[in-house]
Amino acid sequence: MASERTGVIHDIGYRTYTGPREGRWAIVAALLRHGALSTFGFGRSGRAKVLPFGLLVVTLVPAIVFVGILSFIGMDAELLNYAGYQQVTSGFVSLFVAAQAPVLFTRDLRSGAISLYLARPLGAATFALVRWGSLVLAILAFVVTPLLVMFFGGLGAGASFPEEAPKLLVALGGAVLLAVLLATIGATAASLTMRRGLAIGGTIVVLIFGLGATAILQEIGREQNQEAAAAWLSLFSPFVLVDAVQHGLGDATSSFETPPDDPATAALLLLSALALAALALLMLVRRYRRRGSR
Amino acid sequence: MSVIRTESLTKRYGSTSVAALDGLTIDVGPGVTGLVGANGAGKSTLIKILLGLLEPTAGDAQVLGHDIRSDGTAIRTVVGYMPEHDCLPPDMRAIDFVVHMARVSGLPPAAARERAADVLRHVGLAEERYRLMGGYSTGMKQRAKLAQALVHDPRLVMLDEPTNGLDPAAREDMLALVRRIGHDFGIPVLVTSHLLGELERISDHVVVLDSGQLLRSEATGSFLADTGVVLVEVIGDRGPDGVDAQTRMGEALAARGVTCRPRGALIEIQPAAPPGGSDGIPEDREAAVLQLDTLRDLVRDAAADLGLGLVRVQPQTGRLEDVFREEVAG
Repeated sequence: MASERTGVIHDIGYRTYTGPREGRWAIVAALLRHGALSTFGFGRSGRAKVLPFGLLVVTLVPAIVFVGILSFIGMDAELLNYAGYQQVTSGFVSLFVAAQAPVLFTRDLRSGAISLYLARPLGAATFALVRWGSLVLAILAFVVTPLLVMFFGGLGAGASFPEEAPKLLVALGGAVLLAVLLATIGATAASLTMRRGLAIGGTIVVLIFGLGATAILQEIGREQNQEAAAAWLSLFSPFVLVDAVQHGLGDATSSFETPPDDPATAALLLLSALALAALALLMLVRRYRRRGSR
Repeated sequence: MSVIRTESLTKRYGSTSVAALDGLTIDVGPGVTGLVGANGAGKSTLIKILLGLLEPTAGDAQVLGHDIRSDGTAIRTVVGYMPEHDCLPPDMRAIDFVVHMARVSGLPPAAARERAADVLRHVGLAEERYRLMGGYSTGMKQRAKLAQALVHDPRLVMLDEPTNGLDPAAREDMLALVRRIGHDFGIPVLVTSHLLGELERISDHVVVLDSGQLLRSEATGSFLADTGVVLVEVIGDRGPDGVDAQTRMGEALAARGVTCRPRGALIEIQPAAPPGGSDGIPEDREAAVLQLDTLRDLVRDAAADLGLGLVRVQPQTGRLEDVFREEVAG
């Protein structure tokens, strides 16, 4: 283009779009990615990145300390308890879910952007599920990062790969289950209210108090010699449940009082938890459908 | 070609006997169509049904040839929607948000960015598009809302009260923009407003709804047809007997056999007994022109005889508001 006329704006009129349009799955993928990134504050204001990244850094501290101890003091690699890591940092993980689930749910309802999304091709049910999927991915990234730091840091400090890899795999499976359960709880709380504070408070109550109450009740159950029944109490807290499933099915060390000892109970627990999550998702979809018709 | 076609469309909420839409049959073509009705007349319900978000109780409708019951996805792919209420996340920049909306409508990344920039320029958001939308004025928000409705190059846009909350200057800009979309961009527009004066200026066709029923669906021109009434305004001195210029003119006209009466500072001349038709407006166009010419000459002569200045001689056209008022009352 001629360089001397750069300051001129040409009105080229309205141009129609005749290029290709993406199908349903490409739209789902784009929305999934956008949602997961905006949970960490990408594409939003600078301030929106502070909390998620701050929490991520704090959550990484124990992993870095473990790796440090391993490399400088040269302790046993037994220190690397992948499966138990989420229970150590459960407070921060809960805060992350509580604070960031509203980004994907409450924010749409509050700003009214929900009516724009529902007027787009995907439709209410798919949109609700994609939002949930974005939250699962974001939580997964949040809980898996410390595990990977610990794994690769441990290998660097001389831990043996064949010994560590199976333990990591069990923990990764647990992380996926944890992300699914936490996202379902976070999505349910955040889609019920237009107030961010209420959504955060509700999620914190369910996750942190649920964890505390479950731990106490299991302790009581153990003292009363009702360990089998106490194992079922893990359904009240995703952290305890993931621990129970990892212990029962993956033979990981449990951090709680009454983990199920036989795989059958653990499998039943897993199925019950997934059924509860599916029920919550069904209600979420119904709420979004109703929302669209209003 | 018909853009929107509904056939006995009915919507009842719950088990109530009151219908939000009651056997509505309309046919909307290209250009700008105004959807008029009081609050609760069923305008928003109609839009929700047309977008496939709300299931009608009875009746059928097609949007751009797609059935609303079975083809909601196809409809939402080719329709742009601008809701009445706030719908912009405050912590996003307009450019990012419009690109995102283009992606959600199925545009590939590069095309989404290009079209978002294009469309934001068309709606008049220049440098502001790089700012967070939370800090926007109402006018800028309305423009951003319009941009997201256009970004995927829809074949129809539905605008719900686009001038809501705007100051007079911003309102003019928005109306001009809506007109451009319908005529220059070639995208059919369905626009709602409760301000009838606005719609009569920008729309080619007007649909009037009342309590979910169709009152009228006609070309805007026929609402605004010549009523045959002529308004006259004069300026001049009071007569020797202290009578003002307007009264003197009125008396002079009456003396010449013209039916007239004062209306504010104006004189309203009723149409003379028509040569052809019986409803006051001559059927024959030539006769009507001739009649108006004769009347103008007569008014001019009367003013000249009295030595008064003639300020205006204006045929009065109908107004949408009058039509609406009489339809709702009747």
